[in-house]
Formats: sequence, structure tokens, C-alpha cells
Amino acid sequence: MRTPLYEEHVKLGAKFIDFHGWEMPIQYTSIIEEHKHVRSSVGLFDVSHMGDILIQGRDAASFMSYLLPSDILKAPTGKAIYSAYLNRDGKMIDDTIAYKISNESVFVIPNAATTEKIHNWLIENSKGFEVNIINFSDKLCTLALQGPLAKEVMNKIYPDANNLEHFTFMNASDRFGYKGLENVTFIARTGYTGEDGFEFIIPNQRVVEVWKLLLNDPRVKPIGLGARDTLRMEKGFLLSGQDFNEDRTPIEAGISWIIDFDHNFIGKDKLLENKNRLNQRFRGLIALDKSIPRSGTKVYLNGDEVGILTSGGYSPTLGKGIGLGYIDQNVKVDTEVELVLKNGKGKGIIKKPRLV
Amino acid sequence: MVLVKDGLYYTKTHEWVKLDGDIATVGLTDFAQEQLTDIVYVDLPKVGAMLKAGETAGTVESVKSAEDYYSPLTGKVVEINKELEKTPELINKDPYGAWIFKLKVSNPSEVNSLLGKSDYEKILKK
Repeated sequence: MRTPLYEEHVKLGAKFIDFHGWEMPIQYTSIIEEHKHVRSSVGLFDVSHMGDILIQGRDAASFMSYLLPSDILKAPTGKAIYSAYLNRDGKMIDDTIAYKISNESVFVIPNAATTEKIHNWLIENSKGFEVNIINFSDKLCTLALQGPLAKEVMNKIYPDANNLEHFTFMNASDRFGYKGLENVTFIARTGYTGEDGFEFIIPNQRVVEVWKLLLNDPRVKPIGLGARDTLRMEKGFLLSGQDFNEDRTPIEAGISWIIDFDHNFIGKDKLLENKNRLNQRFRGLIALDKSIPRSGTKVYLNGDEVGILTSGGYSPTLGKGIGLGYIDQNVKVDTEVELVLKNGKGKGIIKKPRLV
Repeated sequence: MVLVKDGLYYTKTHEWVKLDGDIATVGLTDFAQEQLTDIVYVDLPKVGAMLKAGETAGTVESVKSAEDYYSPLTGKVVEINKELEKTPELINKDPYGAWIFKLKVSNPSEVNSLLGKSDYEKILKK
């Protein structure tokens, strides 16, 4: 599959990879250069492979409160809420941002690989709720404008968006809308890089124009999925399907803050039951030598296996190898550990997931 | 788009070889560096090591992945490119200039099993 921006990526000299069936740009020039550009200036990502689902109807917010450990019903209108779908064992199926448009309308962005699964999961669990679940994934695109200079770019393009607080959103159909999609055209102050920035959810018909408009600002450079991965890794952000895949609870994954136990939701019983039986925790790791940890790298302490990394790679900011993964609860932060790598052994130090 | 140079031999595993008498200079092709993305570490073989044709000579690490590279011929490592220890990105910038190691070839007839420019280009088209 290709996003409506495929031809634009080709023109910009992108190198493509297959990402869960999507032909997406991994880089335009260099992952390291693109990464540093986002940290110091501002970059633009096409993340239109991600899904778009609208939940509408009388019970929309209460339904999503039941589906997510976060209480969407209680959240204010205009809030973008980071959360995760749990299965009945309390394990994470996918993480998501839920946009609360109103009590009768909630918009969610599932990951590319899980959009169909989540769409089905929503339908399966909707019995007894008055909701209408509409999949807009093939009608909408998502662009992410990320970096410390994002607000300056926004000043020229859509200055109202600069009034948005972190993790809030607004309807932007007055500027980027298309007939029939007015109620699902947004700008949100969200992202996956740890920098200030915005995400545009806009109709396919408008995306090429908006992409070009943003790139017209000489400070804005296109950024591929390669840098998207290194940027999120440095900040300790989870990657669905890689850092969890229906095998970890949000508590193990270090995002227990998304859970509000004061409401009923799928997976709650098991979460409560296992709350105090935590064996492993999501941690960060920084290499102490030249080694570059990778997903699957095992972690040892005094010869005993104490965990496994689920993400790994090179941090352009630190100039070192970094990793994220699940480490035994009793291994404290700042403990030195050994790594078993493809090409030998390495040394690392355990950190909290946010590494930069 | 990908550069394949005249006057070199190639392997299916995307090494290039330049022959100078019985000395073979080995590096990674433009295609290899492009596939790897930004190279951040090159694990060099040891001078004096005996390598067999097709044997792993070392690992090259990019932002994205770690991949082995192979000795195209049998022989003894006589020189390594120490510059790559500090500036591994030279392979991205100039793949045919940034050689990795030099080998004193012990079995010159193995050269017949290497690929020429056009055969290598055919592999890239697949």
C-alpha cells in the first residue's frame, strides 16, 4: 500500500522500506541528519499509514472509557488522550491517541499494523452501547510537524494552533477540510518525537497541497521512518508490536499513569489482580562501549539473564548505542549490565526509559 | 541510481574487490551502504588473520541494523583501514574509496568465481 504522498516522496529522493505492508520512506538523506534536524529545527513526517477511526453516537465517550484504561468520559472535550487497548488479561493490544471531540464523538488513531484488529475489537465489544464505528483510514492522512521551530512554522500557516496546549486538538476544517470530512479534520499538539509539534489529520484530497505548503518553509525538512524510530527510542516511547504485543501490561511497560482504576474497563480485573506481582519493568539502556544493542539482545548481570531488549539502535544525540526493554524489577537504575550481541559481548547501564 | 564501478570485481553479498597483483582490496558497494543506511561502526578484521572465501570478515553496524560482511577470497589480512574506526560514515560518503581491508590472496583462481560489473548489475536488478 502507498499513501497519497508516495509520488512526493519519490520526487524528494526517498529510500523506501516495507512497513507492515506499507511502502514508506525510511530516509530522504540520512537518518542521523534527519534526526538531528528534528531535535534542533523542524521536520515533517508522513504517517498516513496510521489508522483513523471515529466512534460516534450517544454512548461514544462511555464506550471508549470501557475500551481504554483511561476515563475518556471524564476527560475534557478537546483533549488528546494517550492510552492503550487492553485484552481481558490486561495486556496491551495497541497504544493510541483518543481525541475527545465530545461525549458523542471520539476519534482514535491506531497503529498501521493494528488498525484492522482494533476496528474489529471495537465492533466486537460494542454490544449494548449506542455507537457507530466508522473507519476513515483510507480517507484521511496524518502529517507530523515536529521540532522546536514547529510553532514558528505554524505562525505562518495556521496561527490559531499555537494556542493549543500540549495534548489538545482543534478542528481545522476551515483551512484544510474537504466536503464530507469536515468533522474529522484536526490539528493536534501531539507527536512521537519528544519535541514540541503538531499532527495534522486531513483529508486525502488536501494532503499533497499541505505537505508542499509546509515544506515550502526552508526550515522544514522531510523526515523518514528511520529517524522517527531513533527519535522515539531516545525518549523511551513504546512501539506497538515491538515493545509490546499482547504480552505486557501498561504497568510493566511503564505507563501505569494511563490507568484510572476508578472506572470500569476491559482488563481491569486482571490488572488489579497482578498489580503487585510485577516481575519486570520497562527500562532504558545506554551502551558503555561501542556496542549497539538491538531488539532481542539479552541482558545479563553477573552471568544471570535479567532481561531482554525489545528496541535497540544508535542514538544520534548521544552518539552511542541505546536500547529499551524489560528488565527484572530488582535491577536498579544505574546498574552496569552485560549484553550478548550478534558480534560479541557488550556493556551497558540501565536507565529510566527516557534517555535524552 | 546506485553506482557500480568499472574495473572492480563484486560478490553476491555486496562487497567490491580491487585486484593489484596478489593484493585484494575489499570494501562495500554503494548498494550495500544504501541498504544499510547511516553506518556508525565497523568491526574490522585483525591484521594477520587468515580468512577463507565466503567467511565472515567482520560486522558493519548502521543506525538500523548490524550486518556481517564477508571475505571475497581466501588469504591473509595485511592491512586494515583504521580511518573507519573514527569515521565509519566514510563508507556512506565514498563506498568505493573507503576500503575496509586488504588481503594477500593465497588462491588466485578463486577470482574466477567473483562477479564482473555487468553480472553484479544483473543481481541488483532482481
